[in-house]
Amino acid sequence: MRSFGYASARDSADAVRLADRTPGAAFIAGGTDLLNLMKDGVQHHRHLVDVNKLDLARVTESASGLRIGGLARMRQVAEHHAVRARFPVLAEALLASASPQVRNMATIGGNLLQRTRCGYFRDIGSACNKRVPGSGCSALQGWNRGHAVLGGSESCIATHPSDLAVALTALDASVHVLGPGGTRRIPVGEFYRLPGDTPQIETSLRPAELITAVEVPRHPTATRSRYLKLRDRATFEFAVVSVAAALDLRGHFVRDIRLAFGGIGTKPWRSAEAEAELRGKNLTVERVEQAGRVLVRGAVPRQDNEFKVELVQRALAELVLGLGGLR
Amino acid sequence: MTGLVGRPVARVDGRAKVTGAARYPADNPVPGALHGFLVTSEVAKGEVTDIDTSAALAHPGVVAVLTHRDMPRLTVPSFPYPKGFIPMQDTVIHHVGQPVAIVVAQTVEQAQEAATLVAVRYRTERPRVVIDDAAGAPYLPPPFRNRPNEFKRGDATAALAGAEVRVEARYSSPARHHNPIEPHATTAQWDGDRLTLHETTQGVHFTKSTIATAFALPADNVRVVAPYLGGGFGAKGPTWSHTMINAAAARILRRPVRLVLSRAQMYTMAGHRAEFRQQIRLGATRAGKLTALLSTTIAQLSNTEESIFNSSESARLLYDCPNLHVRQEGVRLDVATSSYMRSPEMTAHFGLETALDELGWALDLDPVELRRRNHTEFNQETGQRFGSKHLLKCYDMASEAFGWSQRKRRPGATKDGDEYVGWGMATEMHTFGAMPSTASVTVGPDGKVVLRIGTQDIGTGTYTIISQIVADAMGVPLDVIQAHIGDTALPVAGLSAASATIASVSGPVDRAARAARDAVVGLAVADERSPLFAVPADEVETRHGHLIHTRNRQRRDSYGAVVSRAGKPVEATGSGPNLPGLSYGVVFAEVRVHARLGSVRVTRVVTAHDIGRVMNRRTARGQVIGGVTWGIGHALMEHTVYDRNSGRVVNPNLSTYLVPVCADAPPELEALFVDEPDPGSTALGARGFGETPITGVPAAIGNAIYHATGRRVRDLPITQDKLL
Ligand SMILES: Cc1cc2nc3c(=O)[nH]c(=O)nc-3n(C[C@H](O)[C@H](O)[C@H](O)COP(=O)(O)OP(=O)(O)OC[C@H]3O[C@@H](n4cnc5c(N)ncnc54)[C@H](O)[C@@H]3O)c2cc1C
Ligand code: SF4
Repeated sequence: MRSFGYASARDSADAVRLADRTPGAAFIAGGTDLLNLMKDGVQHHRHLVDVNKLDLARVTESASGLRIGGLARMRQVAEHHAVRARFPVLAEALLASASPQVRNMATIGGNLLQRTRCGYFRDIGSACNKRVPGSGCSALQGWNRGHAVLGGSESCIATHPSDLAVALTALDASVHVLGPGGTRRIPVGEFYRLPGDTPQIETSLRPAELITAVEVPRHPTATRSRYLKLRDRATFEFAVVSVAAALDLRGHFVRDIRLAFGGIGTKPWRSAEAEAELRGKNLTVERVEQAGRVLVRGAVPRQDNEFKVELVQRALAELVLGLGGLR
Repeated sequence: MTGLVGRPVARVDGRAKVTGAARYPADNPVPGALHGFLVTSEVAKGEVTDIDTSAALAHPGVVAVLTHRDMPRLTVPSFPYPKGFIPMQDTVIHHVGQPVAIVVAQTVEQAQEAATLVAVRYRTERPRVVIDDAAGAPYLPPPFRNRPNEFKRGDATAALAGAEVRVEARYSSPARHHNPIEPHATTAQWDGDRLTLHETTQGVHFTKSTIATAFALPADNVRVVAPYLGGGFGAKGPTWSHTMINAAAARILRRPVRLVLSRAQMYTMAGHRAEFRQQIRLGATRAGKLTALLSTTIAQLSNTEESIFNSSESARLLYDCPNLHVRQEGVRLDVATSSYMRSPEMTAHFGLETALDELGWALDLDPVELRRRNHTEFNQETGQRFGSKHLLKCYDMASEAFGWSQRKRRPGATKDGDEYVGWGMATEMHTFGAMPSTASVTVGPDGKVVLRIGTQDIGTGTYTIISQIVADAMGVPLDVIQAHIGDTALPVAGLSAASATIASVSGPVDRAARAARDAVVGLAVADERSPLFAVPADEVETRHGHLIHTRNRQRRDSYGAVVSRAGKPVEATGSGPNLPGLSYGVVFAEVRVHARLGSVRVTRVVTAHDIGRVMNRRTARGQVIGGVTWGIGHALMEHTVYDRNSGRVVNPNLSTYLVPVCADAPPELEALFVDEPDPGSTALGARGFGETPITGVPAAIGNAIYHATGRRVRDLPITQDKLL
C-alpha cells in the first residue's frame, strides 16, 4: 500500500470541495472495499477524504417513498422497520450481503460503488482492462465461472457485485449526488454503465461527486418483493446468481412486476422483456419459464459460466412462483 | 490417581488465548527488529533478467533491498524441506510467487510500499500448471523417503478380468490451500553465528535442523521458538524458503528482521494439496467380497521436487483384498511445490470410498454391509494381526445413532418440501506417525511441577493433554503444572504433523513424570525429617500434591515439603520407543439437495472412531468438529484456481477461496468413540487421531448426494451447477 494524505470533511460541501481540489482524491466511508483495493495495489489515491462525519446517515419514509442517506450503514438500513415492512427486497438483499461485521461498517454509498470481484481485476499481476485500460482481459480466456453472460464485451465480462444495487434496480430507485456542479438525481438504471470498450468507467458519476442519498419510490409492487441469492457457501459470499422480484398481484393476475438480476450481467440487470411476458396476465409456470427464456436470449456464456444461463432461469421461477403462491 | 486422562478437561491455555496473553510467534517483541517484505515473481516460468532496486532503496525507512546478487550460498536441505530449491540463489523462475527480492525497512508499511517499487524484468515462457496441460505422460516418481510409489499384491489385473462384478471410475479434486488464520511469520536474530528464530512452525526441532543445514551451521547454533500456533494444517510442517531468505537478510544486515507473509503469498510459498486425479477399478464377487483393487493416481508435482504427498494408504491397508495394484504417479508442472495438507490420505480415500459406494449400488448391497464383508483383522502388507481394531464396533455405534436401518434403498426416494434428502457413509482411516521424543519434569520447592518438552500445540490441545498425563502420573492437581513447549532449548520432540503428537509425546511425558514422582517419594522415605521416613516406597500413594502412606493415611508429606528439604529441585527425564499405527472410524452424513436449484446442505453427521484410549473427550470432539467442517469444505467448495495462461492463482484470498462458514457446519453432529485402550500403544493406550476424522467426509457427502438425487459427482468440489 502506498502512503496517502487524509482529511476529514465537515459537511457535504466541504467533502466535495476537498475532493475536487485534490487530484486523485477518493472519498472513504466504511473503507471495507476501498482499503482492500489500496492494500492490494489495485487503486492508488494520493488523498482520502473521510466522509464519516457527514450528516447523511438517516433513513426517512414519506408519502413518496424512502430516502436512505448515502452514509447509512448496511445494517441500519436492513433493520429499519419501514424497509422491512414495505421494501422487504431491500432488507433481504442487504442481509444476504457480506457479514455482520462488514455490514456494521459498510455504507450505502460505498456499497453502490464497490468494485468487481473479478480475480484478475484484484490481482495486479494479471492483465485487466478495467484496472489498466488496454492491457487485455484475462477472464475471457481464463477462469470466468463468476463472470457475466449478459452485457459483456470483448473488453470486459465482470459482474457488478452489489446485492443492494440489484434490489434498487428492481425498485426503480435513484441516486442523489452532490458535486462541484451542484446536485443531480440519477435513476439507478442510468447509474451503471455497460463496459463497452471502456470498462474502467463503471458509473455515470463525475469526478468529486458525492452520493448523498438513495431514493426509493413508493410503488404497489414494493411490499411484495423478495430477494433470492444463490452462492457456493451458505453465507458470507457474493452471488453466483441472484434475483430481485417485486410483484403487484390480484389473485393470480399480475398487475405489475419488476425483475432485476445479479451475477449474470455486467451491471445490475433489469429485464423489461422478461417483465412484459408476465405483466397483465395470469401467473403460470409456463409464463414464468417463458420469461426466463426471454431473459437469457442473447446470453453469451463463456467456458466456465454456462451453467448460469440455466441457473438464473430456475432462480427466477423459484422466486416468482413462490411470491405468487404457486410454489 | 486423580484420573484426569480421558476426562473432558478444558484447555489449560484457553484463558491465555482468549485474553490475548498467549504470545504467537509474530507477537514477540524483538528489540530493534527491522521488517522485511518479499517481492515475488509475477511470472511462472523463465528468468529474472534485471532487478532495479533504486526507487525502493530511496523510499523512506528502507534499509536494504536484497536480491539473488546479495544472498549467501545456501545448501538445499532434503526432507522435511519439500521445495527442492531455494529461491534467490540464482535467476531461474520455477513458479509464480517465487521470492525474487526482500525489502527490509524500519516499519512493515515502509517495507510493503517499497516492495511495490522494485522493478523486476523477466524473460518468460508460457507455463503449464494444471494436469490437463502437462507436457509429458504421468510417470512413476522414485521412492519418497524410502517409500515406493507402486504397490502390488497378487495379480490384480487377472483378478479384475475374472471378477463377477466390476466397478471402474475416475475421480478428481482440485488444488487446495491450508489457509490457517495466522499467516506464516518468522523473526531472525543473529548473535555471531548463532541464530534465534521466532517461527510459526509445527515442529521447532525440524525447523532447527532444516535451517542449520541450509546455513551450514552446527545444529545447536540454531534456536527455534514457537509457543503457540494459529493453525497449521500441514502448511507449517515444513520450513519454507521465506524463513531462509529472512534469516539471510538478518545476517547480512546484522539486525533482527521479521517477515510476515501476506495472505496472497501463502498461496505460492507454503505448500498446498496437489491437484489430483484417480482411476479406481474394483473387482468383486456377487456376494460383495473384493477380489481386485487397482488404483492409479496422478498428482500435480513441481519442476523442482517429486515427492508424492497424496498417498494411497487406505487402498493398501483398509480392506481385505488379495489382489492389489496401486500406482502413485505424477506430472511435473510450473507450480510451487505441493506438500501435505490435513489428511493427505483423504485425497485418494475419496475415490476409494466413492467407488465402494458405487460397488454397493451395483450389487444392491448396503454400503455398511459391503464394508463389513471386506473387513480385515490383518495388516494386508505384513500379514500380522492387528493388536486392536474396533472398526466393526464403530459401524455398529454410528449406524445405530444415525438410524441407518431406516435408510431407503433407492436413490431419490425421500423428499422433504423442496429438498431431496440423502444418507451416505464412508469408512475413515488414517495412519499416524511416531517420532522420538524426550520429556523432562522438574519439581520445585514450592511443589510446582514444570514439564519441558520440545513439542508444540498447533491448536489440537497438546498443552492440556500433556498436563493431564503429568497430573495423573504424579498425583498433583493441574494448576501446579506448567508445561513448556515450542522451543528447541527444551528436550527434543517430533513434528506436530502426521497425527503424531499424542503418539510421540504421551509415553515420554508419562515416564518423566513417573520418574520424578518416584524420585520425590525416594527422597521422602529416606529423609528422617519426613513423616514418611522408612515407609516402603511402594506403600506411598501420591494424590493432590501429597505423598500418603497407604497403610496409615495420617502419615503424609507433600511434593513441596520434600523438595524444599532436599534443597534443590528434583528433575527426571523420560523417553522411549514410540510406535506408529492406524486409527479408524466411520462417518454417516445426511444431505439435503434442493430439487430445482441443486444447492446442498449437510444437515446431520454422526461419527464413531476407534482411536485407542481417548485422552480428552473435549479436544477429541473438537478434532471431529474441525475434521467434519474441513471435509465439508473439500466436498462442496474449496478450490484453488490457477490461470492456465499465466500460472497465477486467481483466488488467493479468503473472499474468493471459499472455506466453510458456521452456517455450512451441520446443525447436528454426534461424535462417538469406542474408547478401548490399544494394548500395543506406546502412548498410554492412545493412538494418533488428528487427521482421521476428515478422511471419509467428502466421500460420505458425495455418497449421500447420490442417495438423495441419483446423481454421481466424481469431481470435487460438488458445487450446485453440477447438480442442476
Ligand atoms: C468480505 C466481504 C464480503 C462482502 N460481501 C458482499 C456481498 O455479499 N454483497 C454485497 O453487496 N457486498 C459485499 N461486500 C461489499 C461491501 O458491501 C462493500 O465493501 C461496502 O458496501 C462498501 O461500503 P464502504 O462504506 O465500506 O465503502 P468504502 O470502501 O469506504 O468505499 C467504496 C468506494 O465508494 C466510494 N464512496 C464511498 N462512499 C461514497 C459516497 N457517499 N459518495 C461517493 N463515493 C463514495 C469510495 O471512494 C470508494 O471508491 C463484501 C465486502 C467484504 C469485505
Ligand atoms: S473481466 Fe473485466 S475486470 Fe475481469 S479481467 Fe477482464 S477486464 Fe478485468
